[in-house]
Amino acid sequence: MGVVRKRSKVALIFRYVLVGIILFWALFMIYWGVVTSLKPPAETFTVTGLSVPFIQFRPTLENWRTELSVRESRMSLVNSIVVAIFATLIAVALGIPAGYALARFKFRRVKNRDLTIWYLSQRVLPPVVVVIPFFLIMRTLRLLDTRLALILVNATFVLPFAVVITRQTFQELPVELEEAAAVDGCSEFAAFWRIALPLAAPTIVAVIAICVAFTWNEFLFALSLTSLRAKTFPVYLAGAEDTRGVQFWFMATRAILALGLPVVLAVAIQRYIVRGLTFGAVKG
Amino acid sequence: MSKGKRIKYFFIVPSIGWVLAFTIFPLLYSASLTLFRVRLGKPARFVGLANFARILSDYKMWNSLRITLVYVAVTVALQVLLGLLIALLFHQEMRGKSIFRALLILPIFCTPVAVGYLGLTVFYEEGGPINSILMSLLGTKIPWLSNPFWAWVAILLLDIWQWTPFCFLVILAGLQSLPEEIYDAAYIDSSSEWEIFRKITFPMVQPVVIIVLLLRLIESFKIFDVVYSLTGGGPGTSTEVYSLFTYRTGLKFFDFGYASVLGYLLLAMVMVVVNIFFRRVREVYE
Repeated sequence: MGVVRKRSKVALIFRYVLVGIILFWALFMIYWGVVTSLKPPAETFTVTGLSVPFIQFRPTLENWRTELSVRESRMSLVNSIVVAIFATLIAVALGIPAGYALARFKFRRVKNRDLTIWYLSQRVLPPVVVVIPFFLIMRTLRLLDTRLALILVNATFVLPFAVVITRQTFQELPVELEEAAAVDGCSEFAAFWRIALPLAAPTIVAVIAICVAFTWNEFLFALSLTSLRAKTFPVYLAGAEDTRGVQFWFMATRAILALGLPVVLAVAIQRYIVRGLTFGAVKG
Repeated sequence: MSKGKRIKYFFIVPSIGWVLAFTIFPLLYSASLTLFRVRLGKPARFVGLANFARILSDYKMWNSLRITLVYVAVTVALQVLLGLLIALLFHQEMRGKSIFRALLILPIFCTPVAVGYLGLTVFYEEGGPINSILMSLLGTKIPWLSNPFWAWVAILLLDIWQWTPFCFLVILAGLQSLPEEIYDAAYIDSSSEWEIFRKITFPMVQPVVIIVLLLRLIESFKIFDVVYSLTGGGPGTSTEVYSLFTYRTGLKFFDFGYASVLGYLLLAMVMVVVNIFFRRVREVYE
C-alpha cells in the first residue's frame, strides 16, 4: 500500500540508492562472517575489499569441518538444542492454556488485564536481578552445570510470549464455534483442545519459533549456571577465544553457526514478528 | 466471556504457580540476600543496610551506572529515529519491497553474543574491513577497541545494527494500518510533505512509536551479551555496563549480598521507566 504520487526520476533513483545503502548496512556483518568462515585462515585479512568468494579467493569448507569435528563444539550444539526444545515445550504447555483462559473467562479477584500485565512483567525484569538467587538455588539443589537448570530458567523467561500472544489470538477467534460445541455437549476442555487450539495453530507455530530463538540466544544464565557439561553454544563461543587466542576464522564460523538457526526462524515467521515481539500491542 | 467456571483455574493455575516458583521466589530470596554479607563457603552474616550504604561510595558502580544511562538514552533515541525514517522510506510503492523487508529482519534474531564476535572481526583494528576501507578512503584508522570512546561507539553501532530493524518493522506496520483516505484529503489541502508528516502521519503513528520506545528502553537496560563478547567491559572499565558490573560482583567476586542490592537498583530504574508509560500499557491489554 502507501500513497501514490507523481515523483521525479531523480527522487526515485535517490530512494533506491538509499534502500541499497540500508540493506548493505543491515547485511554486511552477516556477509562478512560467512565470507570469513569460508576463507583459508592465512587469507583472513590479506584478501581486501569486499572479499567476494570465487573471484577474490577460493572458498573452502575447511574451517567448518574443523569446527564441527571438535567434541566440545558438537556437545554444546546438542545442549543448545535440548534446552531450546524442552524449555519451549514447558512454556507452550503452561502458556497456551493460560492465554486461552485470559481470552475466554473472566477472573474476578485479579482482573484479566492485570493478570496479563503480570505475566508480561517477566520480560521487564532484567535477568541479572535474578541470576544470583538462581545460582544459589541451583547450587543448593545440585543442579549447577545441568541442562535441567537451563530448561527451567529459560521456560520461565519465554513463558510471557506464549501467554500474551496466544491470548490475543484466542480473543480474535469467534467464540460462537466453541459455544455451538458446548450446546452439542462438548466439554469445555474439548472445546479448547479440539476447536480453539487447531484454529490457533499458525500463531502457536510462531510462538514456538520465538521461544526456541530466545532460548537459543540466551547467554547470561547459560554463562552463570553452567561450566563444562551443560554449556550451550553461545557460552562455548564466548569461551573459545581464551584458550587459543583470537582466531578470527573459527570465531566467524562459530558466530555464523550460532545465529543460523534463529535467523532462519525469523524469516520463517516474519509475518508474526511485529505482533510477537510487541506482545500483541502492534498488529503486524 | 463466561464467568464462574471451575475449569478456568485448571487452565491458568499451573502457569501462575510456575511464575511464583521461578520468578517471585527468586526475587524474594534476592531481597533477603540484600541484608546479609554472603560469601561462598562462609556463613551468611546479617549486616542490615550496610550493603545499601556501600552504593554511595562505590565509584565503580556510579561509573557503570553513568555508562549505562548514557548508553540507553543514545542507543534508544537513534534506533527509534532511524527506524522511523526507514519506515517512512519504505512506506511507499516500491518494487521488491517484501524482499527488502525480509532481508532487513535478519539482524533482529541474531544471537547477541555472536553479534559481538562478528563485531570483533569487523572492527579489528589491523586490517579489519572497516579500518581498511577507512585507510583507503581517508588514510586513517580508528582505534575501535583500544580507545574507550571508540569502544563505546562500536557497541553502540552493533546495538543499533541489531535493533533498528525491529523499530523499523513495527513502525512500518503502524504506518500501513493508517487509513489512506486521510491522505487523499490532506494532499488537496497541503502540498508540503513535512507538514503532512508533522500534522497527520506522526500524530497517528505516535502510539506505535511509544510502544517501540518503551520496549527498546526496557531491553536496553539489560545490555550484557554484546559488551561481554566485544569489549569485555574494557578497555579498563570504560564500557563496563551495569549488568556486567553486577554479574561480576555476584558471580566473579561472589559478593552475593551486594550484587543483590545492585540488581534491585536496576529493577527500580526499569520500573520507573515502565511507570511513566503504564497507563498506555494498561490500555493496550484492556
